[in-house]
Amino acid sequence: MTSYLLKRVLGAIVVMWAVATLVFFMLRAVPGDPLQAMLFDIGDPHAADVLRHKYGLDRPVYVQYALWMWNVAHGDLGASIYGSRVPVTQIIAEAFPRTMALALFAFVIAMAIAVPAGIVSAVRKNTPLDHGFTFLAFLGLSMPDFWLGIVLIIVFAVKLHWLPAIGFAPLSQGFGPWVEHLILPATAIGTAFSAILARMIRSSMLEVMKADFITVARSKGLVETRVVLKHAFRNALIPVITVVGIAFALLMAGAVVVENVFAIKGLGRVLIQGILNRDYPVVQGAILVVSAIFVFMNLVVDVLYTFIDPRIRLR
Amino acid sequence: MTDPLPLLEPGVPVAQARRKRARWLKLLLADRRASISLVVLVVLVGAAVFAPYVSPAQPDAMAFDMLTPPSWAHPFGTDDLGRDLLSRVIFGARISIFVGIVTVVSSMLIGVLMGLLAGYYGGWLDTVIMRYIDLQWAFPNFIIAVYLVAVFGAGLSNVIIAVSLAFLDDFARIARGMVLTVRERDYVEAARALGASDLRLMLRHILPNSLAPLIVQATVSVSYAILAEAGLSFLGLGVKASTPTWGLILSDGRSFISRAWWLGIFPGVAIMVTVLAINFFGDFLRDVFDVREAAVEEGA
Amino acid sequence: MGKDPNDTDAAKRRTLEREIEEAKEFDPEDPLFGLTVEELSGPRLSRRAVLRLMAAAGALSALRFAPGLGDVAYAQGTAGGHLKAGWAGTGEIQTLDPAQINQVLEFQIASNVLSGLTHINPKLVAEGDLAETWTVTPDGLHYTFKLRQGVTFHNGDPFTADDVLYTFNRSKNPDLSIQSSVLAGVDNVVKVDDHTVRFDLKAPQASFLVKVLERSSGRAMAIVNKRAIEEMGASAYGLMPVGTGPFKVTAHQLGQGVELEKFADYYDPSRPKLDKVTITPIVEPEPLAAAIEAGDIQIIGGNPPAAELIDRFVANPDLVVSQIPGPGFQSLWLNPWKDPMRVPDFDKPFSELVKEKGFMVRLAIAKAFDRADLIKRALFGRGVPAFGSINPAMGYFYDDAIDGTSEQRFDVAAAQKLLADAGFPGGKGFPTMKLTITPAGRREGQIIADILKRNLGITVELDAKDFPVLIEEFDANNYDMLRVGSGGDYDPDDGLVDWMLTTSKFNGPKRDKATEAFGYFSDKEVDSLTAQERVEPDLAKRKALVQQANKITSDKVASAFLYHPLDILVYRKEIVYPAESRIPGLVDLDRVSFA
Repeated sequence: MTSYLLKRVLGAIVVMWAVATLVFFMLRAVPGDPLQAMLFDIGDPHAADVLRHKYGLDRPVYVQYALWMWNVAHGDLGASIYGSRVPVTQIIAEAFPRTMALALFAFVIAMAIAVPAGIVSAVRKNTPLDHGFTFLAFLGLSMPDFWLGIVLIIVFAVKLHWLPAIGFAPLSQGFGPWVEHLILPATAIGTAFSAILARMIRSSMLEVMKADFITVARSKGLVETRVVLKHAFRNALIPVITVVGIAFALLMAGAVVVENVFAIKGLGRVLIQGILNRDYPVVQGAILVVSAIFVFMNLVVDVLYTFIDPRIRLR
Repeated sequence: MTDPLPLLEPGVPVAQARRKRARWLKLLLADRRASISLVVLVVLVGAAVFAPYVSPAQPDAMAFDMLTPPSWAHPFGTDDLGRDLLSRVIFGARISIFVGIVTVVSSMLIGVLMGLLAGYYGGWLDTVIMRYIDLQWAFPNFIIAVYLVAVFGAGLSNVIIAVSLAFLDDFARIARGMVLTVRERDYVEAARALGASDLRLMLRHILPNSLAPLIVQATVSVSYAILAEAGLSFLGLGVKASTPTWGLILSDGRSFISRAWWLGIFPGVAIMVTVLAINFFGDFLRDVFDVREAAVEEGA
Repeated sequence: MGKDPNDTDAAKRRTLEREIEEAKEFDPEDPLFGLTVEELSGPRLSRRAVLRLMAAAGALSALRFAPGLGDVAYAQGTAGGHLKAGWAGTGEIQTLDPAQINQVLEFQIASNVLSGLTHINPKLVAEGDLAETWTVTPDGLHYTFKLRQGVTFHNGDPFTADDVLYTFNRSKNPDLSIQSSVLAGVDNVVKVDDHTVRFDLKAPQASFLVKVLERSSGRAMAIVNKRAIEEMGASAYGLMPVGTGPFKVTAHQLGQGVELEKFADYYDPSRPKLDKVTITPIVEPEPLAAAIEAGDIQIIGGNPPAAELIDRFVANPDLVVSQIPGPGFQSLWLNPWKDPMRVPDFDKPFSELVKEKGFMVRLAIAKAFDRADLIKRALFGRGVPAFGSINPAMGYFYDDAIDGTSEQRFDVAAAQKLLADAGFPGGKGFPTMKLTITPAGRREGQIIADILKRNLGITVELDAKDFPVLIEEFDANNYDMLRVGSGGDYDPDDGLVDWMLTTSKFNGPKRDKATEAFGYFSDKEVDSLTAQERVEPDLAKRKALVQQANKITSDKVASAFLYHPLDILVYRKEIVYPAESRIPGLVDLDRVSFA
């Protein structure tokens, strides 16, 4: 087990290094000079050169790469090229909790919708109820998330005045405002995910309910609810756990777009804005962190999987 | 790492598939949802192909009546530049469905090839391919697409390349997994024993039997691709401005939605109906390919 | 009081207008000419002196449109309250450090936090801010400022002459500040005593008090705090600068927003009225509109809100929309090095130029634009047709007749004939042109494409590029057609010197200089007229020179000029935004309160 873990962690680090390297060099192939754009209005051609030299952007790319790697190894991700050169670690440290809160909340919303819908669909297979849930699930899956976000804002913020239209309130401002600000964006992200989850739970429930041990349980005369909840659902969760791994991927992808709609500066927006501004250190840092999260999540899921289902052999 | 969609059933032997062909039609006719979906898809593709003949106006012709609500002259109303929304939605079907199909077909071809090679030959080839897939797996597809478009620049072909590359890993992963399960089956062993070549084995025996989950994955991916294009358009990374796509119509209309609901509703519904029909049909395909489930039903 | 307040207002207005006219009669290069030293010295400049300085800075015209002309009484609000502001069109407030600020939306905030030696008041009169009084030597080279005593920074440090010197030395250093060129005209700053400083100029500079010392436009001399910079480090200071202004920054999370709180020890105890201000950057137009409609935010600052939202705001009884001319121009640039718009040499009379095929095409394109239609569709009517880089906010220098005299004036038939004469009747055979735009400019790009297609039969393909790429291609002359423009142009030189000279900073600085003699335009006559107007002592003559140069750039199609934007401020009606604070481009909140 330990050697397995060690192997996996090492593998994860290699993947992250490869990603970081790829990103570093590809980013420099993207056309567009951040300094020239930043100083366009100043119009002092010398100013850009002064800064370029000061930030070391006039050095050969491989030297920049070596320096960056060296700094990363020492926990320094550099600083944003724009404005006051805020350290990337600070930008990410601020954005990370927001995206996490958003993802977590979206996950909770998705689970709250998906679990009952999935179970009922499976148990009442091919009834109008199942068809209804299926239809709703696919409906949720079919709406572009930014569009759903805008519709939610118009309905719940502008027309009904129930919830704030935009922004993020940190937990330090109290639980109430925190939740209020999260509901709409999390719903916009979570809807599609709940649909996937519900379908997955349905399928895997159907699978499990055909299995021998359920038949056995039934033949033992157990009450159907008990069979469904205790035996079937628990076993049906095994494949669902895997989805949690990709859940974060889905939620992050949703966050990139939805954070833009709701003016929340999370990791997704840091990334997009960094790309659009050609803010190299920010993009490099954000991608490094995002990939670290994914690699780590996958690792956790795999390890978890082996605990839940001992049949799975560790390689 | 584990498969993303473990709920998919492994393939069925060839002989059974033959028998199934007749059953297909019967099942399709019996499944009202699937048959309606198919009709909708045929209509949509038809509209896309014959867009210049069925749409009432040129999609980029600007009239001076901006933001007029739906009327007889403009059944879907006009947009903020006075363009006929119905025509734009019809023409939008072209690019949107085109993007969906082309990206999925190309990523499926490359992905399946990678998966087949990796699964069949194993060894260093498997390691190299799987490492690459792991690398890609570390990122959400959408973010990969965003990044690639940023590198290549916005535009139709770049969006297609970006989204195709982003979807590669799903297909490769499924294909490899299927090869691994099918490879050890008796009939494959038998064929190998009879001296069948690797290529023949892969194309005639392994691939057809891995087809079912791939097709299901493909249908789902088409809908993701359509949505991904919409998302890219929203972020300003989509197809060029003069080419209408559903995503672009939606994202261009987004600051008018509360004033002109039709700008949000019609392209939104177009995406929704298409994705819904694709998903329902994919669902039907899943049921068709899933023999065990079908058998239980037939027996019941 | 027995007197009709409207009469008083009208009388005041007349007086002020007379003074403005009078002020314009003086030499803009040396507007101090003929004024007594008393008039020039502070506590505040005499109105006559200030108006002349403003005329020199090109800022007078804004006054003409300012709603607060004269002392119009405004509703008194109550003190206290928490104002929630949205900053439009931006994802984050990148910096509030005056040495790093390069966007209007940043110094709008900094102006509420930092003080300068002077600040313009509602009538655009430069008042002492941290300078209490000042004297000027008759040669206009030495300014001695008596600094306000008992002023403290937000961190409790007392404000003294040393802070002025520190700020000056910091801003002058190109390694620390991007504003160093602003201070190029200052030879030296001398500390006379703890509360007296003297600025020695290299040459008289008419706009010195406003352009160099004013706290918002003269970012270079907004006073910063040495101890805070040293303790916090430059990047943390950039997020939460410590100054002597009416508000202090209490929190700033990049991209999430800035929180300001009333600075209790501000030198004017009657200000600020508000207890707290939060500023949230909002990129998307719909959420921005939703937020102010729902009351989540109460005022919109930052970039101008998206044009399509303005009608909606105007129609909303909960909102107040204030519109005044904005100082800038927007153009469609036509690359003169690309066929079939090629014009490698503009140095010939118009009558000869117009016989060249390349020029015919350029002129045809420029003439094909019905600016009114473009403004209606692209800006929902909120703009002024443009025929040159001199904008209507420059008032006195603006050529009111240019829409009738410019060769670029809209005429479809003439445009079509020009195109036909150039060998492309009805656009036949004309190659597909690429129009480079930013992703945000796509909507307008589509309208431009539609107009060119409709009026000339020319097909234009949009090419959306992120701003950094667009700028690179503009600087390197790497485009067919490109949409970019200018803002914050208060002086004719901002339009002519920055844009229209062969040596202008935007005129293809990164082009291939071996094969291309200039970027987008070069004309010896314009160069020489501009050189003259910069030093022309007579205002009327300067005006004539400016307009002449402007007309040539228009006739010879330096670019297809499209429109001048408006400056628009939107706030909810429960907010009292006194006319006193309505300065184009700024969002000063120190007098803002709740009704």
